[in-house]
Amino acid sequence: MEINVDQSKLAKALAVVSKVATNGKTTLPILNNVLIRVLDSKVTLTTTNLDMAVVDYLPTSKSKNGEITVPARLLADFVANLPKGEVKITTSDMKITTSSGKYKSTMNGSDASDFPELPELNEEKSVIYKIPVEDFKEGMSAVKICASNDTTRPALTGVYFNTADGALFVAATDGYRLAEKKLISEVSSEVKAIVPANTISEVLSSLSEEVEEVEILFDEAEVCFRMGEIEITSKYIDGSFPDYRKLIPEKVDVSLTLKKADILRVTKLAALFAREVGGSIILETSSAEGVLKVSSVANEFGENTSEIETEVSGDAKVILNSRYLLDALNALSEEELKLGISGSLQPVKIENNKNTDYIHIVMPLKG
Amino acid sequence: MFDVWKNVLEEMKHKVSHEKFLTYLQETTLEGVEDGVAKIGVKNIFMSINVKKNFNKEIIKALNNNGVEVKSAEYIVKDSGNKVKKSREVISRDEILKTTERKSKPTRIIENNPIRSSLSTGLIPEFNFDNFVVGTNNDVAVYTAKMVVKDPGGKRNPFFLYGKSGVGKTHLVQAIGNELLKQNPKLKVLYVPINRFYSDFIDALKANKPEAFTKKYYNLDVLIVDDFQMIIGKDKSQDEFFNLFNEMYLSKRQIIVTCDRLPDEIKDLDVRLSSRLTQSGAYDIQLPSFEDKCAILQSKAEFDGVEIEREAIEYIAENVKTNVRDLNSEYEKLIAFAELRGMSPLQIISSGYTNTSSSLHKNTTTPKKIISTVAKYYEMPVSTMLSKSRVAHIKNARQVAMYLMQNELGLSTTKTAHELGMKDHTTVMNGVRRINSEMKMNFKLREEIGTLRETIYE
Repeated sequence: MEINVDQSKLAKALAVVSKVATNGKTTLPILNNVLIRVLDSKVTLTTTNLDMAVVDYLPTSKSKNGEITVPARLLADFVANLPKGEVKITTSDMKITTSSGKYKSTMNGSDASDFPELPELNEEKSVIYKIPVEDFKEGMSAVKICASNDTTRPALTGVYFNTADGALFVAATDGYRLAEKKLISEVSSEVKAIVPANTISEVLSSLSEEVEEVEILFDEAEVCFRMGEIEITSKYIDGSFPDYRKLIPEKVDVSLTLKKADILRVTKLAALFAREVGGSIILETSSAEGVLKVSSVANEFGENTSEIETEVSGDAKVILNSRYLLDALNALSEEELKLGISGSLQPVKIENNKNTDYIHIVMPLKG
Repeated sequence: MFDVWKNVLEEMKHKVSHEKFLTYLQETTLEGVEDGVAKIGVKNIFMSINVKKNFNKEIIKALNNNGVEVKSAEYIVKDSGNKVKKSREVISRDEILKTTERKSKPTRIIENNPIRSSLSTGLIPEFNFDNFVVGTNNDVAVYTAKMVVKDPGGKRNPFFLYGKSGVGKTHLVQAIGNELLKQNPKLKVLYVPINRFYSDFIDALKANKPEAFTKKYYNLDVLIVDDFQMIIGKDKSQDEFFNLFNEMYLSKRQIIVTCDRLPDEIKDLDVRLSSRLTQSGAYDIQLPSFEDKCAILQSKAEFDGVEIEREAIEYIAENVKTNVRDLNSEYEKLIAFAELRGMSPLQIISSGYTNTSSSLHKNTTTPKKIISTVAKYYEMPVSTMLSKSRVAHIKNARQVAMYLMQNELGLSTTKTAHELGMKDHTTVMNGVRRINSEMKMNFKLREEIGTLRETIYE
C-alpha cells in the first residue's frame, strides 16, 4: 500500500476518526486502530468502537492499493505535528512508514482482516432527511443537553428522532428536564428512533466549516450521518422512549416574557449562593408588584434575591435546579423568552418568545 | 435453552482469544431454534455482522456438539424499539400503527386529528366493539349499535347518536363501520365529519365537477356522519345532505349520525331534516360514572399491558370530571410520567407531578352539595326532598340524590341513608335500583342525571 496525501487534510481526518477509536478503553486491541484502505486511488480511514463507526474519505495524489490497521491516536498525533506539505505512507510486512521530508516514523500495524466489518446501509430501504448544517447544529445542541447519563435507563441516554403530524422532531430527557425541537416542518415518511447521544456529540464535533448539509439515513438497524467526506454510522438504542408529548404542559398558569440577559444574570447570581444546597433556587412571581423574584435559599454563605420587573399575570412559586435553568436559557436562540410556571410541583416551560419550534421543560424540586 | 448456550459459550471460550470472547460473545443469547436455524441474539448491528463473520462456523459446530441440531444461524439484534418507515403513501395504515411504541398511541393521534388518519373509508381499525367499554352511561347506545350491525338499513335507520364531546361517540360509530366491513368487505362504508362533507361539496361546486362528489357520496351502502352540529348555517350543504339522506333512506341504506345535541336544538336546522334524523329514535351517551371511568381505565391498562395500581385508577376516575377523552389523556400522561421517572403510577400521583391539566382542577363534591343541587334542579326545598313524601316527583328527586351519592362519591348504602336522614338502608338500595333500571328506558331521566353529574361539581 502506498499513498501521498496533504498533511493538513490527513491530520484533520485522523483527528476526527481517532476520537471514535477506543484508545485503550476496550478489551479488543484492534478497536484502538484506524483502518487505512486504498482502493483505486480512493483512501478511506475507518475507526469503530462497535457502537458506532466513522469513515473519512481522503483525496490522494498517488496511490497503490492495499490495507492495514495502526493505532489511531499515535498516527493522528504524529501527523498533526508534521509540517505542512505532502505526507507519504507506505507499508511492508505489517509495518507502516509515514514520512514527510526529514521526518519519518515506522509503526507496527496489524492485519486489516481482523478489523470489524461494518454494517452496510441499504439506501433504498432507508428514510433519508437532508438538513442545513446550521439547523442541525442548533437543534441537536439544544436538545442533547437533556439526554441522561444514567445507563440503567438506556432509552434516556439517546436523542429521540420521531415524526408526528408530518414533521420531524428530536427530543431528549433525563427525567428531570426535557427538550424538544422541530427539526424539519414537513416530511413525508415516518421515523421513530433513539440515537445514542454520544453519536450525536461525535457528529457535531466532526462537522467542518465546508459542510453545508447533513444527510441522515435511517436504516432498519443503523443510522448514518453523512457530512461532506465524513460518514458516521451508529447503532440505535434499544427500548422505547417515554410518550413525552404528554409531559409538555398545554397551558401554564403564569406566563412571563423576559429578556434572556436579565433572567440569565439573576439566575447566575442566585446560583452562586445555591452551591451548598444542590443549586436550588426559588422563582416567585408577584402580580401585585409586577416582578419575578429569583432567590437562593439562605445558608451559611448568606442569601441572594434579585428582581426583574415584568408583566405578571398571577402569583406562582417554584423551586428549580439552577443548572438546569441555565442550560435551558443558554439553549434558547432569541433575545426574549417565555417562562411558564404553574404551581410548585408542575413542570416549568421555557421557550423562545417568537419561534416556538423549541420547547424546554424543567421539573421543579420539592421545597 | 439457557443451559445449552452456556455450554456453547464455555466451548467457544477455549477456541477464541479472551479479548474477542469478551467483546463479541459474552453478551450473546440463544433466542430460539426454528427449522434447523439458530436465532442468536446480539447487542447491535455491529455485533450481528462481526459475530457472524468471525464465529459462525464455530457456533454452529458448538451447538451441534451440545445436542442442538442446527444447519445455520441467524444473528438478530434484540428487538430495538426503533422503527423506520419509508413513506406514508406506500405502506398501509396498519403498519404505521404498528410502529407506534405503545398501543394506546393511535387513539391519541386520531382524537387530535380525525381527518389526517382516514383512508378511503375514513375508518380507523383500532376503534372496535372489543375495546369499547360498556357502562350504564352508554349501554343502550351500544346495544342499539349492535342491532345496526345485525340489520343495516333496517329498523334502526337512521341511527342518531348524541352526547357531549369526548364521551366516545366517534369510537362507537367507527366500531359499527368496522364491524360491518368485517362482515362484508365489499360494503361501501364512509365515515366523514360533517365539515369534510361540507368542504367536499363546496370544492365540487367551485371546480364545477359534481361527478366526483356524486361518486363519493351517492354510491355508498353505509354513511357515517360525525359532529353533525357543525352543519349550522351551511344552507346549501344542508340541502345536499337532505337529498343524500332521503336517497339513502328510501333505498334502505344505513345512515349513522352523531351530534353533540338533539337535532331540534340545532339552530336553523331544516325541520324536515330534524324530524327525519330522529325518526327511529335518538340514542345518547352520557358522561361516565365513577365506576364506568374505573372500568374504562382498567381495560385500557390491560390493553396496553401497563401495570397500574387500583388506587391510581380510582384517583384519575375521581378527579377527571370532564369526559372520556380527558380521562384517557390524563391516564396517558400519568403513564408517561411513570415511564420517565421510573416510578409506579401511584408514586407519581403522590409526588404531585401529574396535575397539569385543567380537567383535574375541577372541584370535588360532597353529599350536602349533591342534596342541595338535586333539590334546586327539581325546584323544591331541600326539606321537601328529604321528607318521607311518596309523591312521585319528590321521591324521584330523592332517589336521584341517592344514585349520585353512590355513583359519584362511592358512598355505601348505609352512609347514603345516613346523609339523607333515613333510618333504613334498604330504601336506598331500592331507590338506586329503580334509578338504574329506569335510566335504561327513560331518556329524560338520563339527561337529567347527566346534567346533574356536572352541576354537582360546579
